[in-house]
Amino acid sequence: MIAPGYMAILDPFAPEAQNIVRSAPLLDSMPQEIVERAISRVKWKSPKEMMVDANPSAIQSEILSFYLMCQGTAAVSYPYSREVRLVTDATKETIKYRMYELFKRGYEDLCLDVVGRSFKFVQLEHDGGVKLKDIEIPREDYFKLRDKRLAEDGIDIVDDRALPQYVPKYAVRWTDLALLMRYRRVDLTKLYVVHGWVVITPRELWEIFANFIGVKTEEYIASLYERFSESGVPSKLLDSVGQKISALIPPEAELRERFLRVPIGRLRPEFFPPCVKKALGGVGTGVRNYAIAVLLTSFLSYARVSPSGKVATRMADFIGDISIVREEIAPLILEAAEHCNPPLFKDQPQEKANVYYHLGFGMTLEPRLEDSGKSKWYRTPNCSKIQISAPPLCEPDEFCRSRNIKNPLTYYYKRLAEQARPHTGD
Amino acid sequence: MPDFILHTLSLREFGFDYGEGPSHRYNQFMTIEQLSDFLKNRAPYAAYASVALYEQPSMRKGWLKSELVFDVDAKDLPIKICGCSGGAVCEKCLDEARQIASMFAETLRSDLDLRNINFVYSGRGFHIRVNDDAVMTMEQTERTQVVEYVTGSIVPTDMTMALGYSQVFRDRIARIFDRLDEQKLMEIKGMKKALAQQLVKEKDKVMAMMRRGKLQDLHDFSGMGEKTFGQLVDHLMKLNSMLTDGKVTIDTKRILRLPSSLHSGVSMKCVLVRDIEHFSIESAIPKFIREEK
Repeated sequence: MIAPGYMAILDPFAPEAQNIVRSAPLLDSMPQEIVERAISRVKWKSPKEMMVDANPSAIQSEILSFYLMCQGTAAVSYPYSREVRLVTDATKETIKYRMYELFKRGYEDLCLDVVGRSFKFVQLEHDGGVKLKDIEIPREDYFKLRDKRLAEDGIDIVDDRALPQYVPKYAVRWTDLALLMRYRRVDLTKLYVVHGWVVITPRELWEIFANFIGVKTEEYIASLYERFSESGVPSKLLDSVGQKISALIPPEAELRERFLRVPIGRLRPEFFPPCVKKALGGVGTGVRNYAIAVLLTSFLSYARVSPSGKVATRMADFIGDISIVREEIAPLILEAAEHCNPPLFKDQPQEKANVYYHLGFGMTLEPRLEDSGKSKWYRTPNCSKIQISAPPLCEPDEFCRSRNIKNPLTYYYKRLAEQARPHTGD
Repeated sequence: MPDFILHTLSLREFGFDYGEGPSHRYNQFMTIEQLSDFLKNRAPYAAYASVALYEQPSMRKGWLKSELVFDVDAKDLPIKICGCSGGAVCEKCLDEARQIASMFAETLRSDLDLRNINFVYSGRGFHIRVNDDAVMTMEQTERTQVVEYVTGSIVPTDMTMALGYSQVFRDRIARIFDRLDEQKLMEIKGMKKALAQQLVKEKDKVMAMMRRGKLQDLHDFSGMGEKTFGQLVDHLMKLNSMLTDGKVTIDTKRILRLPSSLHSGVSMKCVLVRDIEHFSIESAIPKFIREEK
């Protein structure tokens, strides 16, 4: 018999897990073992690493390390960055493995209890034929679903222990999969839907659930990022955890990612959010200074210099050549300033130095690489701040609204990611 | 006015046309009387209401949810068996649009188990307006996937399943193929005249192959190489995707012609259709036109 608290290791967002977080020690006094687990969990491979003993201390360590991992990642990375993907993929794989393993060990009920909190599901009945509630599932379809699943995993022969995972056994409501459809983790036309129910094998159920937790983790990190942007610099511990996780990204994956998402040296204006497009076109008095010196300066610099979404305090951590600032970023800002009515730098020439100040080069008109870090490299303001400071800039489009965008850079990275992401799930 | 609008009137944004399209937007009415007074006093050419419900409709803010909508416009059908030119609408076009709307609704019911499905005759075609809570909170990507499913515009992973999307896809491509003549088949890139003639001649056989999921058997037709086969299937899927305007479905802030209002361009009433199978255009003819007759 496994304690009910064990559910938390399958769903870190479950009430049991929330209770553990509520009684967590302060960050300053977080046990070292938990800190190390928060970092190492993104590269877990073996069953020994992924499984958790059913005792309160092990469960607590597991949950706190999960939250520390997420918070550390949000402290150094933008949403949908490669760090975030590393974390969410690792989380998904861990949850999936635990589901498989517990199912094999005979803890199917525990798995189903956890899944049942997020998805409405029923079990197929075998009464002469295969029935889903009152609907007869044709036998041919039933076996085709099994064979398709086996083929997807490249399995020709299965033993008696593994086979039950490949036989259609459950059905979930298709509407419960909306979040996964939104993130393209499932495609409706690839599912076998009958009267609103998607017929699936246990293996698919665990996968769907693991994907669901992965997406929730992604959303959680995005929400943390917004929170950190509001509240200022995150704690040293979170920063350190985040940096260590970031360092675990394989170099070849990083390279591939950069090519996949943004060709080096190229901004993708077609993916800019409406506020940035508006600012680029020039705006009137009242919002000029904010649009140019705050929004455009931070947005264009991060989008160009840190296309993978990584946050840093110095631009020099990303570039080795100041011409990127002088010849690529600054001209766009200067041009937008010229388009303003009246042109911003004509009557407020001091604002030009302010642009470089916000880029982290101090008050100067001639930025040099060695000056990087003299002032703070400002992060892109959140949408809520833009709405307050320069309301005319904020005219959300469908993408802003449908993706619940809270930061202009999130918009850009998300659109890049969606463009790069394969159309189908993983 | 249908209940699904009446009961959510104060949460919808209203738009009006004063001669330049529905550009007068951001209107909110707390009661039906307010709306009625507005229409009498301002007499717009046309009235529209949002498919979305908002906390503040007059600012289009605080989106709560949106109906799932399919717009089947008779003037924009990809294949016009009646010979009408693009943009024109005859009784046959309208009946074709009605059949498509009915077919979509059947898939929404039988496959996706949606129950709160309403039909509205728009003056030029039909709107399917789904008000099941489970789909109203869906966003663009989910709605895109629903359109793909209902229209049959994606090749299924297994063409031979008896139920599910596989069946929907087979029915849809067979149906659209049935509406193609030799000339329309010749519009497919790489299609040879002899093959087009043969396909038309053996249309029943081809449709049976499609319905059984034996699409590969089409290779038995002389001249049907892998490339032409691919082009044919792509063409059929493309036509399927044009049966409805997908942009309308995924636009969760769309305004649609208000049922019970007049379509001033065609002088027909936009009306709720209670029985799509027995829809009669008579029910949409306004009183003043009837009296003129």
